Amino acid sequence: MDAPATERGASDPAAERSPRRDRERRAFIYGFVAIAVVAALPTLPFVNDYLLAVVVRALIFIALGQAWNVVAGIGGLLSLGHGAFLGLGCYATGILFNDYGLPPWLGVWVGALLSLAVALVMGTMTLRMRGVFFALATIAVSLALDQLARHYVDLTGGDNGLALKFLGDSLWFMQSRTPTPFVYAGLVFVIAYYWITRWVLGSRLGLQMRAVRDDEVAAAAAGVGVFRTKLLGLLLSAVMTSVAGTLYMQSYQAIDPETAFGLSQAIQLQLPALIGGLGTAWGPIVGGAVMIFLSEATNWGSTKLGVAGIDILVYGLLLLAVVMYAPKGIMGLFAARARGGR
Amino acid sequence: MTAAVALEVSNVARHFGGLVALRDVSFKVREGEVMGLIGPNGAGKSTLFEIISGNLAPSGGQVSFFGRDCTTDPAHVRRRAGLCRTFQKVRLFESMSVSENIAVSARQCLPPGHDWRAEVVSILARLRLSGQADRMPSEITLADRKKVEIGRAIAGFCRVLMLDESLSGLTHEEAEELIGEILALNRDTGITVIVVEHVLSVLAAMVKRLVVLHNATVIADGAPGEVAHDPVVIEAYLGTKANALR
Repeated sequence: MDAPATERGASDPAAERSPRRDRERRAFIYGFVAIAVVAALPTLPFVNDYLLAVVVRALIFIALGQAWNVVAGIGGLLSLGHGAFLGLGCYATGILFNDYGLPPWLGVWVGALLSLAVALVMGTMTLRMRGVFFALATIAVSLALDQLARHYVDLTGGDNGLALKFLGDSLWFMQSRTPTPFVYAGLVFVIAYYWITRWVLGSRLGLQMRAVRDDEVAAAAAGVGVFRTKLLGLLLSAVMTSVAGTLYMQSYQAIDPETAFGLSQAIQLQLPALIGGLGTAWGPIVGGAVMIFLSEATNWGSTKLGVAGIDILVYGLLLLAVVMYAPKGIMGLFAARARGGR
Repeated sequence: MTAAVALEVSNVARHFGGLVALRDVSFKVREGEVMGLIGPNGAGKSTLFEIISGNLAPSGGQVSFFGRDCTTDPAHVRRRAGLCRTFQKVRLFESMSVSENIAVSARQCLPPGHDWRAEVVSILARLRLSGQADRMPSEITLADRKKVEIGRAIAGFCRVLMLDESLSGLTHEEAEELIGEILALNRDTGITVIVVEHVLSVLAAMVKRLVVLHNATVIADGAPGEVAHDPVVIEAYLGTKANALR
C-alpha cells in the first residue's frame, strides 16, 4: 500500500512499473474513500458534535504524528520532546491573538519561526553528537519551555494556561462553536502532511535521511552530509508540528504548560507513527485513527463498566500489544503480507 | 609520463591516549595504481583507513588528495571529491533495496547534469547485480553484499577506491570473481584502488605494489615479490618465508 521512497525497478523499470502503479492506485482509492467519508460525516444526521470532536482530535493527532514521523520515522532521530514545537505553535498563536489581535493566519507563521529558531539552536548543539544526546536535549528544551510558560504568568497564563478570547464564528479568527470547520481544517492538514511526507520520501533529502537513519558512517561514506541532513529533517518536522499546533489551539481554544510541553503529550505525538508504521506516509494516518479509536473505545467501556481508570490500563496494554507484535507498525504487517504474496 | 599523485599520506600519526596507533606514516599512491596495504592485527591499517577516509582526525601529519590538503575535510566532502571506500564489515543501508543503496551516492556525488538513474543502472550492470536490484540487502549473498558496497562506493564520482578487506569471508571462486571486477574497474575507468587485506597471497594476485604496516608504521613499500622476501617483513609480520608465500 505504501512504498517508501524507492528507486526500485532501476534494473528493469517496465517490469516493476505495473505492480507499483497498482499499489499506488489502490492507495489513492483508499485515500479518496477515507477523505470522502470524513468529509461527509458532518452532513450525516446521526453524527453529533461529540463524534465530530473525536474526529477532529484524531485528525489533529494524525497531523502531529505525521510531523513527528518526518524526523523520527524517516530521519531516525528520537525526539522525545516534540511537544515543545506544538507548545510554541499554540502559545505563539494564542498570545498574539489575545494580546495583539493578530489572527491565527498570521500567528501561525510566528509560531513556525520560533520553532524553527529553537530547532536550529537545539539541532546545532546536539546533532553532531552520537547516541542519546539529541533525545535528552529535546526533553530538556521541553522542560525549559514548560518552566518559562509557568513563570511568565502575564503572558502565558502560568499554570492555569491560556484561553483564547472567543469572538464568535469567524473564518478570519479560525473560531467556531461547532467542530465541523475543524473537521475540514484537520482533513486539509492530514492531506497536506501526507503529500509532504510523500515528497520527502521520494526526494533526495528523504533518501539522505533514510541513509543517515540506517547508518551514519556509511551515509557519510556515500557522500551524505550527516549533520545537514539531520538538521533539515528536524527543521521541517518542527515547523510542521508548530503549524499543526495552531490548529490544536484554535480547535481546543486553550493550552496549558502540561498539555503543551508535558511528557504524556510528547508520547501521544509519537504513538500514531509508532502504531501505524515509522517512516511510511500512511503509518501515522492509520496509527492515529487506531489510537483515537482505542482511546475512545476503552474510555467508553470503562464508563459502561463503571470502573474508573481501567480504560487507561486497557489502552496501554493494547498499545503494548501492537508494539510487541507489530514492531514495524500496522503498515509493516501490510508490507510483510505483500512481500509474502510476491 | 608519470601519473599524478592521487593520494599522499605525509607523516601521519595517531594516538589514543598513551597508545600509539600510527606514527610517521608516509606513502604516495599514483593515479590508476592498484596498491595493497597489509599488516597484522593491530598494525594500524584500520586507523589509517579511517584517517584517510575522514572518519578519524590524525594527531599529526597530512592527507592530500590530488595535491589538495584534505586533512580537515569531513568524510562526505572527501567522498564527493572522489575518495571512496568500503567497510571491513559490510555496512549497507538495510532498509533500502540494492538499487536504492547505490542511488544514495549516485544522487549525492554525480556531477550536475548527469542522470543518476542511468548511473545506477550502469553500475548494477557493471557489477552484474541487475537481477538483484530490487532485493533487500538481507536477501542477497555476502558476495553480492560486498559488490553492492563497491557499487555504492563508486557511484557518482570516484577517483580513488579504498577496499577494506573486501575479500574476507568469500569462497575462493567468489573472491576470484570480485578481484576480476575490481581489476576491470581499474582497467576500464582508471580508478585508483587501495586494497587492505590480511593475506599476502590474495593481494599478490591483485596489486603491483604493497605497503606493509607494522607496529604503527610503514616497514616496507614495494612490489609484492620484493616485499614477500624482505627479511624485515618476514620477521616482523609474516613469520616465516613459507608463510609469506602461502
